[in-house]
Amino acid sequence: MGSDSALEQTVEKIIHNTEEQILSNLKDALKSSQDALSNSHVSLEQEYDRIISEGKKEAEKLEKQIIGNADLDSRNKQLVLIEESIEKVFDKAIKKIQDADRNSDYSKLISSMLEESIRTIGTPDIIIQTNSKDKSVVQSLLSKFPGATLSNDVIDCLGGIKVQSKDGTMKFDNTIDARLERLKPLIRKDIASKFGR
Amino acid sequence: MSTQGGVQYSKIAEIKGPLVVVDGVDSAAFDELVEIQTTGGEKRLGKVLEVGNGKAIVQVFEGTTGLSVSGTSAKFMGKVMEMPVSEEVLGRVFDGLGRPIDGLPDPIASKFLDINGEPMNPEQREYPRDFIQTGVSVIDGMLTLVRGQKLPIFSGSGMSHNILAAQIARQAAVVGTTDEFAVVFAAIGVQYSEAEYFKRSLEESGALKRSVLFLNLADDPAIERIITPRVALTVAEYLAYDLGMHVLVILTDMTNYAEALREISAAREEVPGRKGYPGYLYTDLSTIYERAGRLHGRKGSVTQMPILTMPSDDITHPIPDLTGYITEGQIVLGRDLFRQGVYPPVNILMSLSRIMKDGIGEGRTRADHQEVSNQNYDAYSRSQEVRALAGIVGKAGLTGVDLKYLEVGDSFEKDFLTQAVDENRTIEETLSLQWKVVSLLPKNELTKIKDKFIDQYYKER
Repeated sequence: MGSDSALEQTVEKIIHNTEEQILSNLKDALKSSQDALSNSHVSLEQEYDRIISEGKKEAEKLEKQIIGNADLDSRNKQLVLIEESIEKVFDKAIKKIQDADRNSDYSKLISSMLEESIRTIGTPDIIIQTNSKDKSVVQSLLSKFPGATLSNDVIDCLGGIKVQSKDGTMKFDNTIDARLERLKPLIRKDIASKFGR
Repeated sequence: MSTQGGVQYSKIAEIKGPLVVVDGVDSAAFDELVEIQTTGGEKRLGKVLEVGNGKAIVQVFEGTTGLSVSGTSAKFMGKVMEMPVSEEVLGRVFDGLGRPIDGLPDPIASKFLDINGEPMNPEQREYPRDFIQTGVSVIDGMLTLVRGQKLPIFSGSGMSHNILAAQIARQAAVVGTTDEFAVVFAAIGVQYSEAEYFKRSLEESGALKRSVLFLNLADDPAIERIITPRVALTVAEYLAYDLGMHVLVILTDMTNYAEALREISAAREEVPGRKGYPGYLYTDLSTIYERAGRLHGRKGSVTQMPILTMPSDDITHPIPDLTGYITEGQIVLGRDLFRQGVYPPVNILMSLSRIMKDGIGEGRTRADHQEVSNQNYDAYSRSQEVRALAGIVGKAGLTGVDLKYLEVGDSFEKDFLTQAVDENRTIEETLSLQWKVVSLLPKNELTKIKDKFIDQYYKER
């Protein structure tokens, strides 16, 4: 009977110890899983913040891209429209020049063109070319420029003259077309300023 | 802008390489613009290189292919080459001579500027300060670009310098100010695919709006390359000093520019200098690089980033050598890093930004910037020594601290140096990465950084 009681006590003790061990293990497991949960919460938050911040960056990039391209597109369309308007103004001006009267003012202009051409080429011995409309104007001025001769060939231009030295080595284009071409960048600027540019 | 017409001479004495010798000329000026007209009516531009004894030597930008002595004429325009400038040049694409190639009309000019620029009065120069953020960690963190600085990139054939250039052009910005920022990008003798890449890259990122592109392609006449950096810098100067913008000028590839200079020099039968380049290569390069800077009383700045490929990766070659004398430091791309797949493959141990110290620190970037950068430089340098030692004695023969330095070297290349092509890092992100690298070391190894910064930013790994 005595040995049975001792055995029972020992079994009780073992059961009790095992129970305590299991409970302690359970507590540890609970604590470590709680820790793991709270840690993963922090890393999850960090990951969440990272994704949000990257998304924001990407969105900002896209916004910049879309706005930048739209701004540029509209500016470019504006440039094309202004250029078309400038060309129209030029066409009208050219038409006006073509139809201009060959009066005394025009004769003065041709005379100054001749003076400028002789000065630029550096010799009075020149051959002058002009269009059919201006031939008579130039012819009437020849007496003022000894050494200058009028070529029989006519050139295709709005007006004005082309001169070359008699040895043919130097030429100077003083036609209205050439002058317009030279001054075009400045004239474009003036016209554009009328459109508020 | 001169409105006076010019005399056309039809007596061509000789055509030699890119040069045309015109006879019977008595009133031409040095650098005067010349219009060469072929028998077929085609017009090409050139400039006067020499005048005397009734002759003028004209350098034809678009080459002399197809020209013949008879039938060719040269019209002396009575002015130097000018670039029409206005705010409208932003967002535009031009060829190497400054003519639009984007299908849009010529810009309506506010001014016509001589492409050779005006020399800056040294007395009027302001010392370069203030930081330009490129979004590339290795540049912002360790080789900081400063407004008004000239900082070249020395690269080698086939390396990723063009990708880096495009990334800088897309991302560069001035931080902490509302001042406007612009990028002028001049591609000199680049391949068509590279030019398309630059253009597309700026268009797709929306950065084209604040950029101006000058594209001289590899199949364009070499002589045109002499003009490309000059027209680009003329536009940059206008944007900076007339419109008050901070302008970053990227010139790639300056080696092609120097090759063009050599071609002209050979055609003029000048006495060659080192490797056949003309003796005045240094002087000529300085006329380009010295156009960077800031001026007292003017709001804007011109910052230059010329890129050049070193033939055979030789840093003693005349082009990088002479460039290095003029510029304020250099960023060197390393072949080894490139082979390892590191982008951007910047070899920081051979690179330097001489005026970085004036553009960083409290109020500009962050108070700890200089110190953490110095520590990274020191640690990476030590890691290279340890790597070499490990190659001989093996890792087993290294001390604990040595092993830490090995880790630092790897982390520096993997975490800090390596960056995606479209990754735009802020200066805070860059500095955090620098701290991440040095935090691999024990605190007592951080001898370049003040304790207060260590306490604030060090995170033991």
